[in-house]
Amino acid sequence: MDIFLQQLINGLTIGSIYALVALGYTMVYGVLKLINFAHGDLVAFSAYIGLVVMMQLSGAISSSAVIILLTFIVTMIIIAAAGVTLERIAYRPLRSAPRLSAVVSALGASLVIENGIMLIWGPRPKIFPADIVPSINWNIGGVYIGLLQLLVLVISFTLMFILYFFVNRTKLGTAMRASAIDQDAARLMGINVNKIIMTTFIIGSALGAVGGLFIGMYYRGIYFNMGWIYGLNAFVAAIIGGIGNIPGAMLGGLLLGVFNALISGYLSSSWALALTYVLLIVIMIFRPTGILGERVAEKV
Amino acid sequence: MLRKGLLGALAFVITLVFGMQAMAAGTIKIGVQAPITGKFASEGQSIDKSVRLIAKQWNAKGGVLGKKIEVITCDDEGKAVKAAICARQLVDKGVLAVIGSYTSTCAEAAEAIYYKAGVLQTSDGTSDTLVKHGYWTFFRNSSPNSAEAAFTAEFFIKKQHYKRIATISDYSTFSTDLTNTVIKDIKKLGGNIVYSGKITSGAQNFTPILTKIKSFNPDVIYFGGYYTDGGLIKAQMKQLGMKADFVGGDSNDNPEFIKLAGKAAVGTYLVNVPLPEMLPYDAAKNFLKAYKEAYHETPASIWTLFNVDGLRAILYSIQQTKSTNTKKIADYMHNKLKNYPGITGPLEWAANGERVGSAYMAYRIGDDLKYHIVYKH
Repeated sequence: MDIFLQQLINGLTIGSIYALVALGYTMVYGVLKLINFAHGDLVAFSAYIGLVVMMQLSGAISSSAVIILLTFIVTMIIIAAAGVTLERIAYRPLRSAPRLSAVVSALGASLVIENGIMLIWGPRPKIFPADIVPSINWNIGGVYIGLLQLLVLVISFTLMFILYFFVNRTKLGTAMRASAIDQDAARLMGINVNKIIMTTFIIGSALGAVGGLFIGMYYRGIYFNMGWIYGLNAFVAAIIGGIGNIPGAMLGGLLLGVFNALISGYLSSSWALALTYVLLIVIMIFRPTGILGERVAEKV
Repeated sequence: MLRKGLLGALAFVITLVFGMQAMAAGTIKIGVQAPITGKFASEGQSIDKSVRLIAKQWNAKGGVLGKKIEVITCDDEGKAVKAAICARQLVDKGVLAVIGSYTSTCAEAAEAIYYKAGVLQTSDGTSDTLVKHGYWTFFRNSSPNSAEAAFTAEFFIKKQHYKRIATISDYSTFSTDLTNTVIKDIKKLGGNIVYSGKITSGAQNFTPILTKIKSFNPDVIYFGGYYTDGGLIKAQMKQLGMKADFVGGDSNDNPEFIKLAGKAAVGTYLVNVPLPEMLPYDAAKNFLKAYKEAYHETPASIWTLFNVDGLRAILYSIQQTKSTNTKKIADYMHNKLKNYPGITGPLEWAANGERVGSAYMAYRIGDDLKYHIVYKH
């Protein structure tokens, strides 16, 4: 039993990071019907920015709680700005072009960011400082959970609930859902769709930045090309949950993490990745639009 | 082009003339076949400088058998074709022994030529194929690829007495081969492997496989992959409250390992050939000091020192046999030379030219986050 619970915690930790990143894919898709392939690389970029910010701050401030808080805020702002810039440069000029052109543009942007990171910081992995968060570990009946792990889980879930509340209960959120259903109708209702799209990129990128910082702080080693694998997993998570569907992305991310942990724990660790995807294909066969269905918003 | 060709010819003539003069004076010629240019240039130059330094040291003490040592260098550029050309040139110039080359490929390309000419050769090449011909002229001065696995198995069973061993590798050929050989050698010594699994290099999240391994209750986990994954595995083992030891193969030996694992790095065991400055032997300390004085830098790597050991053994054997007959010298090295104090450990050779014993060592990362030798031959 303790092994099962441990695997569950393992899976939920990485799964909540996937979920945070998946939200960026799903929100942009919801509004623009565009797969923002550069999102994963934005996440990698955020880890590098976060490291730079953290190193700068740790020279000036002694309290690690303040350092972490400021690192998160500054990095989220920078990455949100990067996300908006990306939209302006790579996607807005192509908004009325065929959808494939935008996909190519997204792939191009992905390569630009990835290689940009390599040129700025070099191809060797960068390493986050140890013990920025005190390495406290709790042993609860044979199940181990670390402080950082707890923080990842708590912060991720909090952010996801805030986002859910924002989209469903606020005026801006309603405008976002309206733009997702029909941009022209939304415009006729007096919604500034361009502003909504910008907001979507800001929120999606900022959440991705949190994911990137968690990767850096929890796994410590960051690579210029890590955006690809994290992006791929998060993208799959978004599809599993139902692309364009916000709770779906959260569920998809968590499921992906937990599946992977349980398969590697009970079947075969060598085949874990392959079997995880087999399971996901099976889900797609029975629920082609994802577990929660594509774009719940349309049903409103 | 023409000018370059002329210069080359001129250089050749000059070497020829000087070479003849030297022969007249009665010297002992030692060849260096090494990549002086190309991507291994730093290694090749380091070998050349070291050989010249040793020759200078011996010459200052009157040379060997009363004759001065003369060093002749040929640049094989790390390429097999060039290596064969070098071998012929060196043989033509009448060398007694050749140090090199740095790469297994070049050593192998030249091996047969030296054998046919009866010229001794000592190389640091680690490829297992180098000794398969059993040429009497060839002496490997480093440890072959398979030695790491054998040493690791010995460390596990004879030193640490591990009872339940788990292994992890990644999917690369290097890691899979090393780990499989370690498993084979451990089993040969009667060790008990309770689990062996694979990870995707770069996956970062290794808690699922580690949690699984934990349920097998091993007393050690061997990891045959790279430091980028090894450091994380060690950190995540601690996070999961695992008490098992962690032993990493040679590719975990990187300063970044400690940065990745943080404080969790304490207690890690690593198996590798040592860094030059970590060699515990007096001969090593003296040589490194002399090298630093002569060239104001440190040798490129441990591989330089292996080659120096090959040279030292040959010079010592010439002196012991009081002969320049290579057959006699080789016989002495194969049969009589035992435990000669080398820079990289005691020197001794088997009949096929394989160095007996291995320079591999096991280190433990201590509370000071520095390496401490815990096991060596």
